[in-house]
Amino acid sequence: MLSCKELVAHSSDYLDGQLSLRERLGVRAHLAMCRHCRRFIRQMKVTQGVLRKLPDAAIPELDVLAERLAEQRNQSRQD
Amino acid sequence: MSGNDVELLTRLLAGEQQAFRELVATYQGAMRAVAYAIVGSRNADEVVQDAWLAVVRNLEGFQQRSSLKTWLLTITANTAKTRLKHNRREVLLDDLPGPHGSVGGERFAADGHWQTPPNAWHEDSPEALLSEEELRQCLEKTLASLSEMQASVLLLRERQGLELEEICNLLELSLSNVRVLLHRARLKVFATLEHFEETGQC
Repeated sequence: MLSCKELVAHSSDYLDGQLSLRERLGVRAHLAMCRHCRRFIRQMKVTQGVLRKLPDAAIPELDVLAERLAEQRNQSRQD
Repeated sequence: MSGNDVELLTRLLAGEQQAFRELVATYQGAMRAVAYAIVGSRNADEVVQDAWLAVVRNLEGFQQRSSLKTWLLTITANTAKTRLKHNRREVLLDDLPGPHGSVGGERFAADGHWQTPPNAWHEDSPEALLSEEELRQCLEKTLASLSEMQASVLLLRERQGLELEEICNLLELSLSNVRVLLHRARLKVFATLEHFEETGQC
Protein backbone atom coordinates (compact mmCIF):
# COMPACT_ATOMS: atom_id res chain seq x y z
CA MET A 1 0.00 0.00 0.00
CA LEU A 2 1.35 3.42 -0.98
CA SER A 3 1.91 5.96 1.75
CA CYS A 4 0.63 9.52 1.31
CA LYS A 5 4.21 10.72 0.88
CA GLU A 6 4.74 8.23 -1.94
CA LEU A 7 1.47 9.20 -3.53
CA VAL A 8 2.55 12.85 -3.58
CA ALA A 9 5.89 11.81 -5.09
CA HIS A 10 4.01 9.96 -7.86
CA SER A 11 1.35 12.61 -8.37
CA SER A 12 2.82 14.35 -11.42
CA ASP A 13 3.48 11.04 -13.14
CA TYR A 14 -0.09 10.03 -12.36
CA LEU A 15 -1.43 13.25 -13.89
CA ASP A 16 0.83 12.90 -16.94
CA GLY A 17 -0.08 9.25 -17.55
CA GLN A 18 3.50 8.11 -16.88
CA LEU A 19 2.71 5.29 -14.44
CA SER A 20 2.56 1.60 -15.24
CA LEU A 21 -0.80 -0.09 -14.89
CA ARG A 22 0.22 -1.57 -11.54
CA GLU A 23 1.40 1.79 -10.20
CA ARG A 24 -1.75 3.48 -11.44
CA LEU A 25 -3.93 0.94 -9.71
CA GLY A 26 -1.91 1.49 -6.53
CA VAL A 27 -2.56 5.23 -6.72
CA ARG A 28 -6.27 4.68 -7.36
CA ALA A 29 -6.56 2.26 -4.42
CA HIS A 30 -4.89 4.80 -2.15
CA LEU A 31 -7.11 7.63 -3.40
CA ALA A 32 -10.23 5.55 -2.76
CA MET A 33 -9.29 5.41 0.91
CA CYS A 34 -7.59 8.73 1.62
CA ARG A 35 -9.49 12.00 1.49
CA HIS A 36 -6.37 14.10 2.10
CA CYS A 37 -4.72 12.69 -0.98
CA ARG A 38 -7.94 13.03 -3.00
CA ARG A 39 -7.92 16.70 -2.07
CA PHE A 40 -4.23 16.97 -2.92
CA ILE A 41 -4.73 15.50 -6.40
CA ARG A 42 -7.77 17.70 -6.97
CA GLN A 43 -5.76 20.77 -6.00
CA MET A 44 -2.85 19.69 -8.20
CA LYS A 45 -5.31 19.61 -11.10
CA VAL A 46 -6.49 23.10 -10.16
CA THR A 47 -2.82 24.15 -10.11
CA GLN A 48 -2.42 22.83 -13.64
CA GLY A 49 -5.59 24.68 -14.69
CA VAL A 50 -4.27 27.90 -13.21
CA LEU A 51 -1.01 27.58 -15.14
CA ARG A 52 -2.89 26.91 -18.36
CA LYS A 53 -5.11 29.92 -17.90
CA LEU A 54 -2.52 32.47 -16.80
CA PRO A 55 -2.74 35.39 -19.18
CA ASP A 56 0.02 35.47 -21.80
CA ALA A 57 2.71 38.08 -21.50
CA ALA A 58 2.40 40.66 -24.26
CA ILE A 59 4.92 40.27 -27.05
CA PRO A 60 6.83 43.52 -27.36
CA GLU A 61 6.83 44.95 -30.87
CA LEU A 62 4.71 42.16 -32.31
CA ASP A 63 3.68 44.26 -35.30
CA VAL A 64 7.20 45.49 -36.00
CA LEU A 65 8.52 41.93 -35.95
CA ALA A 66 5.70 40.62 -38.15
CA GLU A 67 6.33 43.40 -40.65
CA ARG A 68 10.03 42.66 -40.76
CA LEU A 69 9.50 38.92 -41.26
CA ALA A 70 6.94 39.51 -44.02
CA GLU A 71 9.37 41.88 -45.73
CA GLN A 72 12.15 39.32 -45.59
CA ARG A 73 9.90 36.67 -47.00
CA ASN A 74 8.86 38.93 -49.85
CA GLN A 75 12.46 39.83 -50.58
CA SER A 76 13.50 36.19 -50.78
CA ARG A 77 10.59 35.49 -53.13
CA GLN A 78 11.90 38.15 -55.51
CA ASP A 79 15.50 36.88 -55.40
CA MET B 1 0.04 19.06 -40.45
CA SER B 2 -3.40 20.31 -39.51
CA GLY B 3 -5.69 22.18 -41.88
CA ASN B 4 -4.99 25.38 -39.97
CA ASP B 5 -1.26 24.90 -40.43
CA VAL B 6 -1.69 24.35 -44.17
CA GLU B 7 -3.76 27.49 -44.54
CA LEU B 8 -1.37 29.56 -42.45
CA LEU B 9 1.63 28.23 -44.34
CA THR B 10 0.10 29.22 -47.66
CA ARG B 11 -0.37 32.77 -46.41
CA LEU B 12 3.16 32.85 -44.97
CA LEU B 13 4.62 31.72 -48.26
CA ALA B 14 2.69 34.53 -49.95
CA GLY B 15 4.40 36.96 -47.57
CA GLU B 16 1.20 38.14 -45.90
CA GLN B 17 2.06 40.32 -42.92
CA GLN B 18 -1.04 39.37 -40.93
CA ALA B 19 -0.07 35.71 -41.24
CA PHE B 20 3.34 36.45 -39.72
CA ARG B 21 1.62 38.34 -36.94
CA GLU B 22 -0.52 35.30 -36.16
CA LEU B 23 2.51 33.02 -36.29
CA VAL B 24 4.51 35.15 -33.87
CA ALA B 25 1.56 35.69 -31.52
CA THR B 26 0.83 31.95 -31.38
CA TYR B 27 4.30 30.50 -31.08
CA GLN B 28 6.66 33.10 -29.63
CA GLY B 29 5.88 32.03 -26.04
CA ALA B 30 6.78 28.40 -26.68
CA MET B 31 9.89 29.40 -28.63
CA ARG B 32 11.01 31.62 -25.80
CA ALA B 33 10.55 28.80 -23.28
CA VAL B 34 12.77 26.53 -25.38
CA ALA B 35 15.44 29.22 -25.81
CA TYR B 36 15.28 30.10 -22.11
CA ALA B 37 15.93 26.49 -21.11
CA ILE B 38 18.96 26.14 -23.36
CA VAL B 39 20.73 29.49 -23.27
CA GLY B 40 19.28 31.16 -20.16
CA SER B 41 17.46 34.45 -19.73
CA ARG B 42 20.27 36.68 -20.92
CA ASN B 43 20.37 35.31 -24.47
CA ALA B 44 16.87 33.91 -24.90
CA ASP B 45 15.39 36.91 -26.70
CA GLU B 46 18.27 37.09 -29.14
CA VAL B 47 17.97 33.39 -29.90
CA VAL B 48 14.25 33.79 -30.59
CA GLN B 49 14.97 36.68 -32.98
CA ASP B 50 17.57 34.58 -34.80
CA ALA B 51 15.20 31.63 -34.90
CA TRP B 52 12.51 33.75 -36.55
CA LEU B 53 14.93 34.79 -39.26
CA ALA B 54 15.88 31.15 -39.79
CA VAL B 55 12.20 30.27 -40.03
CA VAL B 56 11.63 32.81 -42.78
CA ARG B 57 14.76 31.71 -44.63
CA ASN B 58 13.68 28.07 -44.53
CA LEU B 59 9.96 28.48 -45.04
CA GLU B 60 10.15 27.22 -48.60
CA GLY B 61 11.92 24.04 -47.53
CA PHE B 62 9.52 23.16 -44.71
CA GLN B 63 8.69 19.54 -45.39
CA GLN B 64 5.29 19.49 -43.68
CA ARG B 65 6.03 16.12 -42.13
CA SER B 66 5.77 17.62 -38.65
CA SER B 67 3.42 20.26 -37.32
CA LEU B 68 4.37 23.89 -37.76
CA LYS B 69 4.81 24.14 -33.99
CA THR B 70 7.24 21.21 -33.81
CA TRP B 71 9.20 22.63 -36.73
CA LEU B 72 9.43 26.10 -35.13
CA LEU B 73 10.51 24.68 -31.79
CA THR B 74 13.12 22.45 -33.41
CA ILE B 75 14.59 25.46 -35.25
CA THR B 76 14.60 27.39 -31.98
CA ALA B 77 16.35 24.58 -30.10
CA ASN B 78 18.94 24.23 -32.87
CA THR B 79 19.55 27.98 -32.95
CA ALA B 80 19.97 27.99 -29.18
CA LYS B 81 22.34 25.02 -29.23
CA THR B 82 24.46 26.64 -31.93
CA ARG B 83 24.66 29.74 -29.77
CA LEU B 84 25.68 27.70 -26.81
CA LYS B 85 28.32 25.75 -28.77
CA HIS B 86 30.13 24.41 -25.77
CA ASN B 87 29.58 23.40 -22.16
CA ARG B 88 25.97 22.85 -21.48
CA ARG B 89 25.33 24.99 -18.46
CA GLU B 90 25.08 23.03 -15.25
CA VAL B 91 21.63 24.11 -14.27
CA LEU B 92 19.71 20.97 -15.03
CA LEU B 93 18.31 19.93 -11.72
CA ASP B 94 19.17 22.78 -9.42
CA ASP B 95 16.39 23.30 -7.00
CA LEU B 96 16.15 26.69 -5.35
CA PRO B 97 13.38 27.09 -2.82
CA GLY B 98 10.22 28.71 -4.14
CA PRO B 99 8.98 31.77 -2.24
CA HIS B 100 6.34 29.63 -0.56
CA GLY B 101 8.27 26.40 -0.35
CA SER B 102 7.05 23.15 -1.80
CA VAL B 103 5.31 20.04 -0.51
CA GLY B 104 8.29 18.56 1.27
CA GLY B 105 9.08 15.82 3.73
CA GLU B 106 8.09 17.98 6.71
CA ARG B 107 4.46 17.63 5.69
CA PHE B 108 4.51 13.89 6.46
CA ALA B 109 4.77 11.80 9.62
CA ALA B 110 7.37 9.07 9.97
CA ASP B 111 4.90 6.48 8.63
CA GLY B 112 4.45 8.53 5.43
CA HIS B 113 0.93 9.78 6.18
CA TRP B 114 0.04 13.44 6.07
CA GLN B 115 1.04 15.39 9.14
CA THR B 116 -0.09 18.69 7.63
CA PRO B 117 -2.68 17.70 5.05
CA PRO B 118 -3.81 20.14 2.39
CA ASN B 119 -6.66 22.41 3.48
CA ALA B 120 -9.71 23.08 1.37
CA TRP B 121 -9.23 26.12 -0.82
CA HIS B 122 -11.79 28.90 -0.83
CA GLU B 123 -11.77 28.93 -4.57
CA ASP B 124 -11.14 25.84 -6.56
CA SER B 125 -11.66 26.89 -10.12
CA PRO B 126 -8.68 28.31 -12.01
CA GLU B 127 -10.81 31.19 -13.26
CA ALA B 128 -11.88 32.24 -9.75
CA LEU B 129 -8.32 31.99 -8.45
CA LEU B 130 -6.95 34.04 -11.32
CA SER B 131 -9.51 36.78 -10.80
CA GLU B 132 -7.33 37.89 -7.85
CA GLU B 133 -4.77 40.33 -9.15
CA GLU B 134 -2.55 39.77 -6.13
CA LEU B 135 -2.43 36.03 -6.74
CA ARG B 136 -1.50 36.57 -10.39
CA GLN B 137 1.45 38.71 -9.31
CA CYS B 138 2.37 36.16 -6.67
CA LEU B 139 2.42 33.40 -9.31
CA GLU B 140 4.66 35.52 -11.52
CA LYS B 141 7.10 35.71 -8.61
CA THR B 142 7.00 31.98 -8.11
CA LEU B 143 7.57 31.31 -11.82
CA ALA B 144 10.47 33.77 -11.80
CA SER B 145 11.99 31.90 -8.86
CA LEU B 146 12.11 28.58 -10.71
CA SER B 147 15.34 27.52 -12.36
CA GLU B 148 15.40 28.14 -16.12
CA MET B 149 14.95 24.44 -16.86
CA GLN B 150 12.12 24.04 -14.38
CA ALA B 151 10.29 27.08 -15.69
CA SER B 152 10.70 26.04 -19.30
CA VAL B 153 9.61 22.46 -18.77
CA LEU B 154 6.59 23.65 -16.80
CA LEU B 155 5.57 26.18 -19.44
CA LEU B 156 6.10 23.79 -22.35
CA ARG B 157 4.02 21.13 -20.65
CA GLU B 158 1.22 23.12 -19.05
CA ARG B 159 0.85 26.10 -21.31
CA GLN B 160 2.00 24.74 -24.64
CA GLY B 161 0.65 21.23 -24.16
CA LEU B 162 3.79 19.46 -25.37
CA GLU B 163 4.18 15.75 -24.71
CA LEU B 164 6.97 14.82 -22.29
CA GLU B 165 8.84 13.06 -25.11
CA GLU B 166 8.79 16.24 -27.23
CA ILE B 167 10.25 18.20 -24.33
CA CYS B 168 12.99 15.57 -23.88
CA ASN B 169 13.93 15.80 -27.55
CA LEU B 170 13.94 19.59 -27.73
CA LEU B 171 15.92 20.15 -24.56
CA GLU B 172 18.04 16.98 -24.77
CA LEU B 173 16.97 15.84 -21.34
CA SER B 174 16.18 12.34 -20.19
CA LEU B 175 12.55 11.49 -19.52
CA SER B 176 13.30 11.02 -15.83
CA ASN B 177 14.87 14.48 -15.64
CA VAL B 178 11.86 16.07 -17.32
CA ARG B 179 9.54 14.27 -14.91
CA VAL B 180 11.51 15.43 -11.88
CA LEU B 181 11.75 19.04 -13.10
CA LEU B 182 8.05 19.15 -13.86
CA HIS B 183 7.04 17.67 -10.53
CA ARG B 184 9.22 20.01 -8.47
CA ALA B 185 7.98 23.03 -10.38
CA ARG B 186 4.33 22.02 -9.97
CA LEU B 187 4.76 21.51 -6.23
CA LYS B 188 6.19 25.01 -5.87
CA VAL B 189 3.27 26.53 -7.74
CA PHE B 190 0.93 24.39 -5.64
CA ALA B 191 2.57 25.74 -2.47
CA THR B 192 2.03 29.31 -3.67
CA LEU B 193 -1.66 28.69 -4.31
CA GLU B 194 -2.01 26.94 -0.96
CA HIS B 195 -0.28 29.76 0.89
CA PHE B 196 -2.46 32.35 -0.80
CA GLU B 197 -5.63 30.41 -0.05
CA GLU B 198 -4.65 30.10 3.60
CA THR B 199 -3.44 33.62 4.24
CA GLY B 200 -5.03 35.70 1.50
CA GLN B 201 -1.58 37.13 0.87
CA CYS B 202 1.39 36.46 -1.31
